[in-house]
Amino acid sequence: MKISLDWISDFVNLEGVPPEELAERLTLATAEVEQIHILRRFTQGVVVGRIIACEALHGPGEQRLHRVEVDCGSQRYQSVCGAPNVRVGLVSAFAPAGVSLAGGTLITEQTIAGCRSEGILCSAAELGMSHWHEGVLEIPNSVLLGTPLDALVPVEDVLIEIDNKSLTHRPDLWGHYGFAREISVILDRPLKPLASYDLSEFQSLPGYPLEVESFQDCPCYGCLDLRFRAGVPSPLWMQRRLHALGQRTFNLAVDVTNYVMWELGQPTHAFDGDRLRKIRVAPMGKESGFVTLDGQERRMLPDDLLIWNESEPVALAGIMGGLHSEVSLDTTHVLLESANFRADRVRRTSLRLDLRTEAAQRFEKSQPPGNVITAVGRILQCLILSGETFEALSKFTLAGDPDSYHRPLLVEWEQVDRMAGVAVPREEARRILTGLGFQVATRDGLLELGIPPHRSRRDLSIPADIVEEILRLYGYGRIEPRLPIAPLRHLPVNESLQREHRTRRVLAGAHQFIEVQNYIWFDSRWLQELSWQPQECLRLRNPPSQHNGCLRTTLVPNLLALVRPNRTHCDSFRLFEISRVFGNAEEGQHERTFLAGVTYQPSRADAEEHVRVIRSALDDLGVSLCGKGFGFEPCSEDVSPWQKRGVSLVIHGDAGPIGGIGLLTGKILKTVVPDGQVVWFELDLEAVPIVVHPAIKFAQLPVYPGSWQDFSLLWDSDRGFAALEAVLNAFRHPLVSRRDFVYRFKGKGLPPGKSSYTFRYHLAAADHTLSAEEIDAFRSEFLRHLESHGIALR
Amino acid sequence: MEEILQQLEADLAKAKTLPEVEQLRVKYLGRKGSITLLAKNTDFSRLSPDEKRSFGQRLNALKNRAEEAIQEAQQRLAQQGASLGMVWSGADLSLPSSDRRFGAMHPISLIQRELEEIFQGMGFRVLSGYEVETEYYNFDALNIPPDHPARDMQDTFWLDDGRLLRTHTSANQVRALERYGAPIRAIFPGRCFRNEAIDASHENTFYQLEGLLVDRDISVAHLIGVMKTLLSAVFHREVTVRLRPGFFPFVEPGFELDVQCLICGGNGCATCKRSGWIELIPCGLVHPRVLEFGRVDTRIFSGFAFGMGLTRMAMMKFGIPDIRLFNSGDIRFYEQFPVSM
Ligand SMILES: [Zn+2]
Repeated sequence: MKISLDWISDFVNLEGVPPEELAERLTLATAEVEQIHILRRFTQGVVVGRIIACEALHGPGEQRLHRVEVDCGSQRYQSVCGAPNVRVGLVSAFAPAGVSLAGGTLITEQTIAGCRSEGILCSAAELGMSHWHEGVLEIPNSVLLGTPLDALVPVEDVLIEIDNKSLTHRPDLWGHYGFAREISVILDRPLKPLASYDLSEFQSLPGYPLEVESFQDCPCYGCLDLRFRAGVPSPLWMQRRLHALGQRTFNLAVDVTNYVMWELGQPTHAFDGDRLRKIRVAPMGKESGFVTLDGQERRMLPDDLLIWNESEPVALAGIMGGLHSEVSLDTTHVLLESANFRADRVRRTSLRLDLRTEAAQRFEKSQPPGNVITAVGRILQCLILSGETFEALSKFTLAGDPDSYHRPLLVEWEQVDRMAGVAVPREEARRILTGLGFQVATRDGLLELGIPPHRSRRDLSIPADIVEEILRLYGYGRIEPRLPIAPLRHLPVNESLQREHRTRRVLAGAHQFIEVQNYIWFDSRWLQELSWQPQECLRLRNPPSQHNGCLRTTLVPNLLALVRPNRTHCDSFRLFEISRVFGNAEEGQHERTFLAGVTYQPSRADAEEHVRVIRSALDDLGVSLCGKGFGFEPCSEDVSPWQKRGVSLVIHGDAGPIGGIGLLTGKILKTVVPDGQVVWFELDLEAVPIVVHPAIKFAQLPVYPGSWQDFSLLWDSDRGFAALEAVLNAFRHPLVSRRDFVYRFKGKGLPPGKSSYTFRYHLAAADHTLSAEEIDAFRSEFLRHLESHGIALR
Repeated sequence: MEEILQQLEADLAKAKTLPEVEQLRVKYLGRKGSITLLAKNTDFSRLSPDEKRSFGQRLNALKNRAEEAIQEAQQRLAQQGASLGMVWSGADLSLPSSDRRFGAMHPISLIQRELEEIFQGMGFRVLSGYEVETEYYNFDALNIPPDHPARDMQDTFWLDDGRLLRTHTSANQVRALERYGAPIRAIFPGRCFRNEAIDASHENTFYQLEGLLVDRDISVAHLIGVMKTLLSAVFHREVTVRLRPGFFPFVEPGFELDVQCLICGGNGCATCKRSGWIELIPCGLVHPRVLEFGRVDTRIFSGFAFGMGLTRMAMMKFGIPDIRLFNSGDIRFYEQFPVSM
């Protein structure tokens, strides 16, 4: 939204206030100013002239050229003009030779198509009034010929551009008068009233046939049947302001409705009165087409609200008029519509049709219904200001509730001070509220307010809203910052965050992992490549793309997708992600934080070692989180393309399986990366208990030396280490203080199918040095245990 | 004999490196060294027992003094060498370290942790929330009207079951109030989602940190004071802030908090778009209706809430020009954020 300071000056005296200062104060008190534009017009030396002769030039390439004679009062000029709207009788702006126009064009005498041209008729763009250049400027007949244009269109205006996002709750600021009101309070200068024609004058006339079927979507609809010269050009003061805001001008009827919209925020519409007999406001009712006045056929849905002439739709309510009821050059009968449409209804239709008109934008902000009346009165006043006469054919006919009274609200003065944190001077608060249009009375520490109808109920309804009104204009900068005082209190640790942060420290800090974040959804194309589908998942109704409709139930697939792109610039890497996964639980939240990782190494590396290294990282993680490593057991079935029997393990926590780890093999490995090894893991981080401050028990340092004993055991390679470990775990002996796995040997000299696993036991007693007999006794007991499980020494 | 020792000491004084000293050791004390040869070349059979004893004592003394001198020179040079980074005994300790290095953390993890620590230092607790939220907590309980555009499919990702991906961490406000009541001081960091087209400055997935403080008689003055203290901690220096009106349905009054541009000091530069201020934190006093949804007695308690864009803070702090990098999965991006927590 741009505001013109030329326009604001109609209502508030801006003398002596530099635009920069005004912009800054608006930003701090009202709405964010984005930019200040200086509009420079090129009207100096240009004069008002009437076309008294117009003759088409014929010849190759000259189809659209006319030779015109222009009467500029004391002088006549001849010119050649290519504009489509040149015609005898048209009053326009003439720039004689010697005048400079927009873009640095210096007008000179020329000969065009054999005709002498002593200057040019100007479009709004050539005059620097706007960028419209569809035709030459049209000026009302009443302007004296020869009048210097800069007397009507001053050379300079300043436009302040406001960020529309900061106006969404302020329908009153979608017009200049609303800003003038704010500025009058900011500057503490008087606000001139908005002059408006008294509609009660037409009260004795018949009503216009009007029927509103949907008060839900149209709380208030008013119309007035009028006779006036609707098709003539609007006065230059009106045109120059509309142009300055980028609003194209058409004719008096259309321009005056736009003018009042830019002034008051209330959109209105001028129908060709001869085309209408009875107005109905009703939804479309069925799917159908409708041609808007831009000539486009729009597809309407049953709920879209339309304005009907009996059974024929004539306008898209609050958005755009229809093509066939438009005011044209010689229209003299106009039905003026001023209505209030429900914000949400207008927004839905205009969004769907991508028809974000100025009118639609304003209705979307919930215009106050009271403006329905004010706007019509103001339009008539502007016609008078334009020097036009009009005749009402009907009374101002109104259906619905214009709701144009002040809404009462009581506010305690003390509450204002308490919320501000400073004592706001009463007199200043009263001045601010009165200036904003509130009715203000004070009694016994209470503020008795009437909220003005131009402020929306959504914006102003409770005391806190009033505090905001006072403080923003009092100045937030005048409030001295203070720190709250609070009692000392113990802050409990957030265990789930603690768990996540510790995981990051262990994996990234000690094990070279790099933390990544992936999107919350799967990519169905990638899942297809992996030949996997989640059994059930949460689905998005409006996914970012058709492939991303499913929320992740596992973090692994998206991580696997990162292997190939990163491999091109890194020989080996370890990635991890801590993120949420979502189950499709019937009731309640089913959202858990998972940890997953993928690691990549070149093919030549030892794959078993690769898995072992990652497992030890997970063990470190377990120790860091809950004081001990995880259990790992061979995975007995194919769970997913990545978690397969034989090449993956199930990770166990205290209460059962909490995840898995494995090596990619076969088809999925080829899909993920053309060469190399990939290990994945995933675990339910929330299933890992966190011990924030572990209970550590000091063990007495050994006083007596112990003894190391090595054993190499023969074990079926197929059964794997975990099963062997279980056997060893089942053997308990008071002298064993420690057991280490040293290495595994496979190969020559061993019985078929067997591998040799070497363990080192440390034996010690707390109160004496071990004797040879004790050690022998341990050995024979241990060997008996092994024998009972069919294990022989190598 | 004294001559040999003097010669050795002179040689040692000239030696500049440990290998030179080693050469001197070989020259004097090695198997063919001059001191060794002195003993070997002496015909003891021609000496009387007294002479033998005396010669032997002198020779031992000479050896000892030579060894002492050499050790002293070695230590002297070793110490010099350590400070000069010079090589010693053929071992070059200045070779680069092995390529084993730290991993890296996601930049959001770093900035989130930093802010958590600052807030914890100010007595705020850190709470977690849900990424899949109900319409109630994300919109209704925040006083966002049923027909508000934010609820549209164009803005919010809706689930088939009627829930949604939370559009802001503000969704935690009422949950926290219900659970912990007032007074409360808490922050909620987390990932949020909005249905936006992605480009260098827009993402459908981003991170926020919401803050909530509810206590007796909390005022606009408190909000400004806390924000100023907090931002001074974040930027490691005193900052100037200003409030201007901002509209959010769940606060009243609502503000945009600007911080005076830290690059130009308020004079205007490209970063602050010549305004001297950077829009940083939407905030405000918690709307009474939100407190009521959280079952807080609004006759006793009031509070303020604020939302910080973690993604935006990370972009500002680390100079990241493109928001898409955060979810890019590209190691070369993440590697730039070493472990520091
Ligand atoms: Zn700057």
